[in-house]
Amino acid sequence: MEVIDVIKSRRSTRSFEQRPLPNEVIQDIESAILSSPSGSNAQESHFVVVQDQSQIHLIKRFAPGLSGNPAAIVVLCSNGTAALEQGGIDTSEVLRFVNLGIAASYIILAAHSNGVGNCPVRSFHGPSIKRILELPNNVDPELLISLGYSDTPPRPKTSKEKQEVISHDKYGSN
Amino acid sequence: MTSMEVTKTKEEILEHLRDYVAYTLTSAKGLYREPYSYGPMRLMDSLEKALSLLQEAGIKDENLDQVLSSIRKERWRAMTDKEGFAQAIDTSILELVNLSIDSKKKEECI
Repeated sequence: MEVIDVIKSRRSTRSFEQRPLPNEVIQDIESAILSSPSGSNAQESHFVVVQDQSQIHLIKRFAPGLSGNPAAIVVLCSNGTAALEQGGIDTSEVLRFVNLGIAASYIILAAHSNGVGNCPVRSFHGPSIKRILELPNNVDPELLISLGYSDTPPRPKTSKEKQEVISHDKYGSN
Repeated sequence: MTSMEVTKTKEEILEHLRDYVAYTLTSAKGLYREPYSYGPMRLMDSLEKALSLLQEAGIKDENLDQVLSSIRKERWRAMTDKEGFAQAIDTSILELVNLSIDSKKKEECI
């Protein structure tokens, strides 16, 4: 699939088949993470790829926004200390979250290009996830991405009108 | 309400009970910062989990399936069509009122 087709056809998946992901898919996800850009090339983020079913069960228990039974979860973590040291104040206050957003896009598109459904999730109890994953003090979970083969057809996407979202040359000019 | 055969072990039911308690607690904490429309959605999910737990423990009320059918059918609207979902909740509440009145009448006849 062309990249633009991957982008246009991706939908969030909240119900999954009970089958694991092949290693090739996990390797593609890892490549996507390592290929994603970061401001000042600070590379301060950390990512935990969870495939152990007992760990997934525990994470699900403290993540109300995580639907279905995914085969894997990628936990996107920020590191405030590393962000400040490697990227300065702007990276510490803002860019580290922008960087994770970019990485999240890479991950969901890499997954979808492999036919793997996915859903970014922010509704979880941070301190619980931190404890379950044994994250160090300065590393915090910011986003979960569930991964697995979808067992339901995707719903049509609802988008705002183009002119509401995009301007050309000046705000509000279409 | 009917008593059913218990198909799960006590340990399995306890595990699901812990899932349910964690879901409810973390939802309550999350709702302080999440969109207000998440509230009804989480409450409905919590209700389904509670009913599922009771069913695993051998307790089921078939009439409640009828009461909740409207919400279950419109569950997907919770985020995209808040008015539609609210209407589905209203329908279920009125179904429950009817069920409650019928039960009261039956008790009075006995």
